[in-house]
Amino acid sequence: MKRLLRHFRGQALRCFLAPLFKMIEATFELLVPLIIAQIIDLGIAGKDKEIIYSRSIQLIILGFVGLLFSVTAQYFSADAAVTFVKKLKHEAYKKIQYLSFAQHNEAGTSGLITRLTGDMDSIQNGVNLTLRLLLRSPFVVFGACVMAFRVDPVSAGVFIGAVPLLSIVIFGIMLITIPRNRKIREAVDSALLTTRESITGSRVLRAFGREQAQAEEFGVKNGVLTRLQERTGRISALLNPLTCMIVNTAVAVLIWLGAKRVDAGIISCGAVVALYSYMSQILVELVKLANLIITLTKSFACAGRVADLLDTQPEEKPAPAGDRDNGAFIEFDNVSFAYSGAGEPVLKNISFTVRKGERIGIIGATGSGKSTLVDLLAGFYNPVEGRIYFEGRDIFSCTDEELARRIAFVEQKPAIFKGTVKSNLALGKEDAGEEDIRAALGAAQALDFVNEKENGINAVTEQGGRNFSGGQRQRLAVARALVKDADILILDDASSALDYLTDSEMRKAVSALDYSAVFIVSQRTGSILDCDKIILLEDGRASIGTHAELLESNEEYRQIHLSQFEEEGEAV
Amino acid sequence: MKKINRGTVAKILRYTRRYNPLIVLSLLLSLVCVACNLYIPVLAGRGIDAIKGINNIDYDTLLYNIGAIIITAALSALSQWIAGNVNNTIAFRVVRDVRNDAMKKISSLPLSYIDSHTSGDTVSRVITDADNFAEGLLMGFTQFFTGIMTILGTLAFMIRISPRITPVVALLTPLSLFVASFVAKKTHNMFLAQSRARGRQTAHIDETVANHNVIAAYGAQEKAISEFDEINDEFARASLRAIFFSSITNPSTRFVNNMIYAGVALIGALSAISGSSPITIGALTAFLNYSGQYAKPFNEISGVITELQNSIACAERIFELIEADSDIPDKENAVNRADIGDDISLENVEFSYTPGRELIKNLNLDVKHGEQIAIVGPTGCGKTTVINLLMRFYDVDSGAIKIDNIDIRDITRSSLRAGYGMVLQETWIKTATVAENIALGKPGATREEIIAAAKSAYAHSFIKRLPDGYDTVISDEISSLSQGQKQLLCIARVMLSLPPALILDEATSSIDTRTEIKIRNAFAGMTKGRTSFIVAHRLSTVRNSDKILVMKDGRVIEQGTHTELIAKHGFYEKLYNSRIS
Repeated sequence: MKRLLRHFRGQALRCFLAPLFKMIEATFELLVPLIIAQIIDLGIAGKDKEIIYSRSIQLIILGFVGLLFSVTAQYFSADAAVTFVKKLKHEAYKKIQYLSFAQHNEAGTSGLITRLTGDMDSIQNGVNLTLRLLLRSPFVVFGACVMAFRVDPVSAGVFIGAVPLLSIVIFGIMLITIPRNRKIREAVDSALLTTRESITGSRVLRAFGREQAQAEEFGVKNGVLTRLQERTGRISALLNPLTCMIVNTAVAVLIWLGAKRVDAGIISCGAVVALYSYMSQILVELVKLANLIITLTKSFACAGRVADLLDTQPEEKPAPAGDRDNGAFIEFDNVSFAYSGAGEPVLKNISFTVRKGERIGIIGATGSGKSTLVDLLAGFYNPVEGRIYFEGRDIFSCTDEELARRIAFVEQKPAIFKGTVKSNLALGKEDAGEEDIRAALGAAQALDFVNEKENGINAVTEQGGRNFSGGQRQRLAVARALVKDADILILDDASSALDYLTDSEMRKAVSALDYSAVFIVSQRTGSILDCDKIILLEDGRASIGTHAELLESNEEYRQIHLSQFEEEGEAV
Repeated sequence: MKKINRGTVAKILRYTRRYNPLIVLSLLLSLVCVACNLYIPVLAGRGIDAIKGINNIDYDTLLYNIGAIIITAALSALSQWIAGNVNNTIAFRVVRDVRNDAMKKISSLPLSYIDSHTSGDTVSRVITDADNFAEGLLMGFTQFFTGIMTILGTLAFMIRISPRITPVVALLTPLSLFVASFVAKKTHNMFLAQSRARGRQTAHIDETVANHNVIAAYGAQEKAISEFDEINDEFARASLRAIFFSSITNPSTRFVNNMIYAGVALIGALSAISGSSPITIGALTAFLNYSGQYAKPFNEISGVITELQNSIACAERIFELIEADSDIPDKENAVNRADIGDDISLENVEFSYTPGRELIKNLNLDVKHGEQIAIVGPTGCGKTTVINLLMRFYDVDSGAIKIDNIDIRDITRSSLRAGYGMVLQETWIKTATVAENIALGKPGATREEIIAAAKSAYAHSFIKRLPDGYDTVISDEISSLSQGQKQLLCIARVMLSLPPALILDEATSSIDTRTEIKIRNAFAGMTKGRTSFIVAHRLSTVRNSDKILVMKDGRVIEQGTHTELIAKHGFYEKLYNSRIS
C-alpha cells in the first residue's frame, strides 16, 4: 500500500489544501446557527435593525467565501485524484507489459484488465471523495458537538447521547446489509449466468429438449433473488425512519432542557434555536459519511489489488550455465517443464540438437506439450530442469530483448490489433517498407484477400481482427512474423484454420525463405513430413527422427499418419 | 425530451395491476409521512415560542408540543418504514414477474432471433433493464409523489405561518434547481467525452493485455506503453473536466440555499420586530427549517423525471424481447417422430438467412435408414445451414424436408429434435457438474449409465483426473478443459441418449486424429442402424460415407461415394489431394 502513496508525489500541496479548504467551508457552516442566534437574541429581542442587517450580510459573505473555498477544494481534489490514478495506471500497465508468461497466467488476463480499468476507476473515485469528504463530515459532526458545548454544555449532553446512537444505527444497518447485498449480487450473477447460458446454449438445449427446464431453473433462481432482496430491503428501509426518529426525539429533549435553562436564566432563546440547527446538521453529515465509507471500503480493496500487482517482482532468470561448443545451432539438453500448480510435468527430459538451416516439425496429440516446447525455445517460460543452448550459449544468458529480436513467433490464436494491415505487420519492424509487407503477404498467401480489401495494405483491422476470417487472421499473423528480421521462425500450429491447399502453398513459400532454423508445430503429418527432423511428443516424452524413420520405428507416429492418410500406399 | 410511449405505459400497468392495492397503500402512507415531517418544525417552533424568557415559560404548551413532536415523529417513522417495505415488495416482484416472462420467451424464441442478437444484449435486457425499469419506475413514482406532496404541504404550512416570507422561499428556492440543471447540461458532454476516452482506453487494454504473448514475442512492449500513455493522458484530461465541473453542483446549490437562508433570516427578523403582525421566533425557526428542506423535493423531482424516462426506455427494451415472435407452435395434429420411419429426404430445398441473399438452392437428397451422409466443402459454403434445417432451427423457404414422407413441419419439434443426437464444433458446456452435463439429454440417468457413456466417448480417463471426478463443476468460461476435452463431453452426451439419427458438425475438429479414430469406431458401433450426417473438413473422416455432398457457395456441386467423386476429377478430388503437398 505504501508504494501506492508515493505516486502522490507532486500532489502533496493539493492533497493538503483540498481537505483544509473543505474544513474552512464547513467551519463557516457551523457559524451560521450562532449568527442566527444573535439575530434572535440581539436583533429581534433588542429590536435592533442594525444587528439584523449586519448579521444577514455576514451570512451572505460566509456563503460566498464558502463557495470559493469549496470550489477550489473540488478542483484540487479532482486534479490530485486524476493525476494520481494516471501515474498509477502508467506504472501498472508497464508492470503488466513486463510480467513473465508464468506471472501473467497466474494473474489471469481478465484479472489484469480489471486492475487497469474497474479498480482504477474505483481508486480515482475513492481518492477524490476522501480528499473532499472524509475529513469534512466527521469535522462537521464533531464541530457541531463542540459548538453545542460552547452554546450550553448541559444541553450539549443530548448530543453526546444522540451522536453515538445515530452512528450505531447507521453503521449497524450498513454492516448488516453489506454482506447481504453481496449475496444479492451473487444471486443476480447466478440468474445472469442461467440467462446467458440459455442463449449461448440454445441449439444444444433445444436439441435435447431442455429449454423449458432451463426456464424453470431460472424461475427458481429468480424467486430466491426476490426473497433475498425483500428481506434485505426490510432492513435497509429502517435507516431513514430510525435516524429521523432519533433526531426528532433529540430535538424534543433539547427544547425541554433548553426551556429549563432559559427559565433559570442560563441561556437565551436564540441559543435553543442554535442547538436545534446543530442537531439537524449532524444527521445529514452522518448519512454522507456512511455512504462515503461504503465507497471507500471498495476503493481500498481495489487499491490493495493494484498494490499487489505493483509489488510483483520481475521473474529472475536462473544463473546461466557455461558456453559449450558442439556445433549445434540450438540444443535442448535434458529439458523438463511443468506449469506451476500442475502436478505432472508437461515435458520430460527432452534432448535434441538443431543444425543451422534445418527445419524441425513438432507433432503429437492434443495436450502433449507441442506449444510448450516452442514457448521454452522462445524464452516465454524457463525450463524446470535441463538447459537450452542457443549457438552454444545458455538461453538464460540471452536477454528477453535479444530473443524477441531473433525469433519470429507465429502464435496459435492469431492476435490482430486494431489499426491497419500495415500497422499490424510492422509490429516487429517499425520501418518496414511497402515492399517488405507485400512480399510477406505474398509468402503467407494473404496478398489476394488483402488486395481485395478497401485500401489494400492500409485496410482497417478492427479489434481482434473481427473483419477477417479465422484463416485470414492466421495468414496475417504468419505475414507479420515474416516481415520481422529474425533468423528463427516458429509456426505454432499456424495453419490449423487453412485448407490443405493453402497450407501447402504457404509452407512451400516459407521454406524458400532464408532462416537459420524453422520450427513447425502441427497436428497434420502432411504439414511436417518433409522436415529435416520431426519431434513426436507423447505424454511429454520425445521421439525424434525423419518422417521415414518414425514411420518405420514408431507405432504412435504411424497411427497418427495413417489416421490422416488411410492407405499406406498413398502416404509418401 | 423523449416522448413517452403510451403503449409501453399500458404494458407496464399490466404488470403492476396485481399490486394496485399495495400501490394505493404506499401512496397513503407516503402522504401521512410527508404531513408528519412537515408538521414537526411547526410543533418545534411552537415549543420554542413557549420559551419566552427567565421565569417565563409556558410549561403546559411546551410539554404538549414536545409530546406531539415525539408522537408525530413516531407516526412518520412507522409510515415511512411500512411504505418503504411496500415499495420494495412491489418493485422486486414486478421485476421478478417481468424476468420470468422474458426467460420463458427466450426458451421459445426462434433461432433466427437468437442468432441475430448478441447474447450480451439479450442478457442485459433480462437483468439490467428489468432492474432499471422496476426501480426507476416505482421508486421514481413514489419519489415524484412525495416530492409534489412535500412541495404543496410546505407551501401550505408556510402561508399559514407567514404569507409575507413565503414568496422568498417559494420563488427563490427553485433557483438552486436551475443552477443544478445548468451544471448538469454543461457537464453532460464532458461525461460523454470521458466515457468515450474510457472506451478507447479499455479497448487498448483489452487487446494488449489479452495478447501479451504476441507483444512480448515482438518485443513491442515500449510501443504498447507509449500508445497507452497517450490514451491515458487523454482520459485523465477528460476525466478531470468531467469530475471537476460536475462537482461544482453541490457547492453552487448550497450557495444558493445559503443565500435564501440569509434572505429568510433578514426578512423574517425584520418582520418579527415590525409593528403590524410580527411573526414569532418559533415561526421564524420553522421557516428557516423549511427553507433548508424546500430545495430537496425540487432536486429529487428533476432527477426523477430523467429516471422515469430512462426506466420507460428500459421497459421498452424488455417488452421488445417479451413480445418478440415465438417459434410457430407445433401443428395440432403434429405427429411424433418416434412413431414413424427413418428415411429422410430433402426435396427442392431453398433457404436464405437474409431475404435476397440466397444460400441453399435446389437441394435434393434421399437418405435411407442407416446411411451415413457426409457434407464437405470450404468454410462458409452452407454445411452448417443444412444442419440448422434438419434440426428445424430454421424452416426452409421453399421445398420440404421429409421424414418417412411426412413434412418435418408436421412433426412435433421436441420429438423431431429428440430423434437426432447432435454434436457441434462450437461446444457448449453448462455451468454444472460433469455428470449433469453428460446427462443433459437424459436427466434421470444413473451414474453407471453416465460413466458408460463417458467411457465410450473416451472421456472417462480425463474426467477421473478432475479434482472431484464426475462431480467437478465445469463451465464454458472458467474451465481448465481443453477444446478437445469439451468435445469429448459433448459426444458423451449423445452416447448417453442414443437417438436414432446423428448429426456431427465438425464434432471432432479439436480432437487429435488418433483419439478421433477411436471415437469414430465407437460411433460406428452406434451408427450401425443409425442414420448419420457428418460435417468435416478432415476428409479422411468421411471417405467411408455412403454419400458425400460436396458443397460450394450454398450449392451441392458434387454428390456420390468417395470412389465416384475421385473418379469425377472434380472439386472433391482437388480438395482430397491437397492434403498431400
